[in-house]
Amino acid sequence: MNFKKQLKEGLLTNNPVLSQLLGMCSTMAITTTLFNGLGMGLSVTIILICSNVVISALRRLIPDKIRIAAYIVVIAGFVTMVDLLLKAYVPTLSDSLGVFIPLIVVNCIILGRAEAFASKNGVLASAVDGLTQGVGYTAALVVMCIIREFLGSGTFGKGVLGADGVRILPEQFPALLVILPVGGFLTLGCLIALTQWVNRRLAEKEREKEAVK
Amino acid sequence: MSTFIALFTISLNAILAENFILVKFLGICPFMGVSRKTGTAFGMGLAVIFVMGLASAATWAVNEFLLVRLGLEYMQTVVFILVIAALVQFVEMFLQKALPALYQALGIYLPLITTNCAVLGVALLNIQNNYNFIESVVYGVTGGIGFTLAIVLFSSVRERLEDCDCPKAFKGFPLALIAAGLLALSFMGFSGFKVFG
Amino acid sequence: MKDYKYILRLTLTLLLITAVVAGLLGLVNYLTEDRIDALTREKTEKAMQEVLPAARYEQLETDKDGVTAAYRADDKGYVVLVNVNGFGGAIDMAVGVGADGRVCGVSIISHAETASLGANCVREDFRAQYIGADGALAVRKDGGTIDALTGATVTSRAVTRGVNLALEFVKEVGG
Repeated sequence: MNFKKQLKEGLLTNNPVLSQLLGMCSTMAITTTLFNGLGMGLSVTIILICSNVVISALRRLIPDKIRIAAYIVVIAGFVTMVDLLLKAYVPTLSDSLGVFIPLIVVNCIILGRAEAFASKNGVLASAVDGLTQGVGYTAALVVMCIIREFLGSGTFGKGVLGADGVRILPEQFPALLVILPVGGFLTLGCLIALTQWVNRRLAEKEREKEAVK
Repeated sequence: MSTFIALFTISLNAILAENFILVKFLGICPFMGVSRKTGTAFGMGLAVIFVMGLASAATWAVNEFLLVRLGLEYMQTVVFILVIAALVQFVEMFLQKALPALYQALGIYLPLITTNCAVLGVALLNIQNNYNFIESVVYGVTGGIGFTLAIVLFSSVRERLEDCDCPKAFKGFPLALIAAGLLALSFMGFSGFKVFG
Repeated sequence: MKDYKYILRLTLTLLLITAVVAGLLGLVNYLTEDRIDALTREKTEKAMQEVLPAARYEQLETDKDGVTAAYRADDKGYVVLVNVNGFGGAIDMAVGVGADGRVCGVSIISHAETASLGANCVREDFRAQYIGADGALAVRKDGGTIDALTGATVTSRAVTRGVNLALEFVKEVGG
């Protein structure tokens, strides 16, 4: 399989959040600190790889009629496992993500990839797809976190580099609004606009190349 | 009287101050997906109210009488999503037979609701908040009403956005998100809202 | 007859998948259960020591809504564990009430509030506002004396409600 191409798709041209517009609930709700973003991104990536592998391995055994129900059970199983493991070994993360960990079950990215990719492709390709899509999701989350944390609290890396992160803006400057729900919508809107712009530029360049040939 | 006040507070919070979409970020996918036309948005809203109310009742009962008794609380997520999926399927079949007119109107939205995080969210939040049966159902139904309010308001904004002039890169989703952000901003005004001192 | 077989196959497949998932979950739960319990207990004990240090905590009976547990701390007063609804879910907190019926410490055991907003409720300067109080408290917005956290009125109200619950409980048991 073409790993590089899949990676580029996951990160940019077919990014689950920024291009496919999937999994937006968690993207906006938890991206207030870098720690949350990384934790959520990694959890989703792990679950996505596992569920993609299992679903792709079982794809011939599951009758078509009940496939969605079967996928949901498999996904919910992995999510609960991650939830329990986080509670036991990374309690700070599980505390700060709260109800959004169990809600990964209905994160459309996972069911979406199961239906669109894993149910039609082999085990290895599905694992790679899970990895690249998960990395794309994590990247989108991390960018959201960095922007919102910088503008909203004036820090960088809260929870990752020490409990309060590195202060960049003095305490009186940050706009609290960016951390509130409003900021989530606005930041994501601007990011998607940026992605659309970049993607169009890339497509134009491709076309120019073709024309020169 | 005090139960009435408690229920009223739960309802008011679920509809306005802690609106599922605009404040809690639950159910964004259908919010963005089916809000192009006010009519369809309203249909989706009704379906969500219906399913959220039923799901609250069903998951509360399953949790109380099955999971807690058997000490299987850790299976909550798996069981709830199965209950919700089965419920949605059942509602679909029931409507098709009993109320074909309503089924015609809601039919296409029903399967989408299984993966609506507002529904699973309300089930999990009911347990987390230690709500009793009546509180859970009220929270579910009013949460759904909040969802409907937001999606209907938003769809009427969006109908106007369709043919407005804006930078090319912002066309479509980005602009819709920014409009939703402004809507969320206005809902923030409700968070200071209190009826009973 | 063919229909019947097909439906049987559907049911069995789904049943099998569910059974395997349930089995695996049981295993993971078994492996993590003790650790999660130990972590919760450790956190709770630390919070109790913080709000009202004592050598021995004697557990009291409680059936008050929102009060999860209550202890008599030697003869210095009470520690009440309360559970209130915050913005992002339940907030578990420990409230120490001295023998004079005044709050002597508040500690947040666990919460799921938004970072930089509601999560600031763990900050010392916010919690210190409750120390010394003995009556019904309210945030300034509702005509009380507690300064709410910036942009997090819901959380501030929830914590205040928790402290009030603890005070009520202590009054009821005759502290």
